[in-house]
Amino acid sequence: MSSRGSAWLREERDAYVFGLLRCALGVLLFLQASRALSDWWDSGYFGDYWHLPIVPASLVPSHGVYAGLLAFELVAAACAIAGVWSRAALLGSSTTGLYLLLCDRLQYHNNRYALLLIAFLTAFTPCDRSFSARRGARALSPEARRAPTWARRLVQAQVSLIYGASALGKLADPDWRGGQVLAIRYLHTLSYLASQGVRVPRWLADVYTSPWYASATAKGAISLELFLALGLWQPRTRRFALWLGVLFHFGIELSARVELFSWLMWTAYLAFVTPECRERLLEVDPRSRVARLATVVLRRLDILARFDVHENADLLTSAGSIVRVTDRSGHAHTGWAAYAQIASAFPPLFAAWPLLAMLATFRERRQRSAAAP
Amino acid sequence: MLGQIALIAFAQRAPDHVFGFQMFNASSELKITLYRQIHMYGKPYRLSVQHAAWQARDKNKVTHAFRWNDRVHDGVLGQLDTFVHASYGLDAQLFRLQFALNDVAAHIPDDAETDALVAVVETVKNGRERATVELTAERP
Repeated sequence: MSSRGSAWLREERDAYVFGLLRCALGVLLFLQASRALSDWWDSGYFGDYWHLPIVPASLVPSHGVYAGLLAFELVAAACAIAGVWSRAALLGSSTTGLYLLLCDRLQYHNNRYALLLIAFLTAFTPCDRSFSARRGARALSPEARRAPTWARRLVQAQVSLIYGASALGKLADPDWRGGQVLAIRYLHTLSYLASQGVRVPRWLADVYTSPWYASATAKGAISLELFLALGLWQPRTRRFALWLGVLFHFGIELSARVELFSWLMWTAYLAFVTPECRERLLEVDPRSRVARLATVVLRRLDILARFDVHENADLLTSAGSIVRVTDRSGHAHTGWAAYAQIASAFPPLFAAWPLLAMLATFRERRQRSAAAP
Repeated sequence: MLGQIALIAFAQRAPDHVFGFQMFNASSELKITLYRQIHMYGKPYRLSVQHAAWQARDKNKVTHAFRWNDRVHDGVLGQLDTFVHASYGLDAQLFRLQFALNDVAAHIPDDAETDALVAVVETVKNGRERATVELTAERP
């Protein structure tokens, strides 16, 4: 464990993905600061009415200083997005946000606190080596982007802490683990749908509001959070954990008002992405119009820089497929297996990855059994 | 990170679990009814506060209008006489309500009639247990 710890401290990796993480967190910080500014504009200075400071009252800023700090938080977030004094801007924006959060307990929300903490820790990663407006076209080479990435482990640990604390809190609450909390939530959802004129079939409403369903989903949610807290660290389970996490937060985003929480966790998953870029080789046959179009889309949307894309005019003849993906370990995949490989590393298609992987496995087995004497 | 873990441990004892990452921790509701405690002829009386507003006279017998929401802008505690979702749980909201009452009681210097503000809170914990809690804030 200690050798792994010292290896983590010494590891140097490609910093490309941290630049992307910084930009995304900058956008979220910008939105959060905009909301605070809008509240200030609409309702006035929080210190003029009832508030509940966590810090001593003498440390709560005056009206003018508060407005100035909000403006600074917003401008610093914009700088973090643009890559201007990137790390200092991210650190400044998140630290200011944390301080203001401590000035009024009523403005505290777990999602706001989590965003500020993750942004704060990201500022210690080499997140200034990519996605910088200041560098413009003079982007750093992969070699020049390599830098110590120990702080990435802190961001990862922060994500695990959020899931772990949330899961253990629910586990300790008998109403939560027994399903009572969710049962009430489900009843409210049905009432809301009815008020919007949405008619849910009787049998579905019966299942949805049954105690066993609430109990099962409560236990499922707690197990899922515990799995995410641990499974994201293991290379063997990481991809599946990320996939479950993406869908989990999609469900939360649809069913609850959690401000930027879902977006934050999707963004934070970038800290678990393998930092090295373009380690997968994607070959396409240029004679296929579909493959050519897909290549254009993939090149534009491959924001994680996972694929090194090449055209291979002999591909259909030599491999019997218009697409071939060679993964990190050097294994070549064609047909459905290639599509599954693409989906596994391409964010817009990531949700479809298990389905494509199952299809690929199913077809491979059928081909094997057909080929068997 | 150790500081974080310490904060999470601390949060378990805090009524509102602040810093504890306790997501979706309750489906409880509460309804706050506000009363003013006054005295007439040496006897204490409770007057119901309707529509979160009341009128009272100062020491010079000049009448002033007061509103709960002049001081309390909070989305949960700012709503009186109706059931609202107790975000972060009942303990969190009752803990905060006591501070809100204290704050309002301390900011009505022109109300020379009110001795104390009393909040009678009906609570429904996760759709089951109903209870009534009474909180009082004396004017300083």
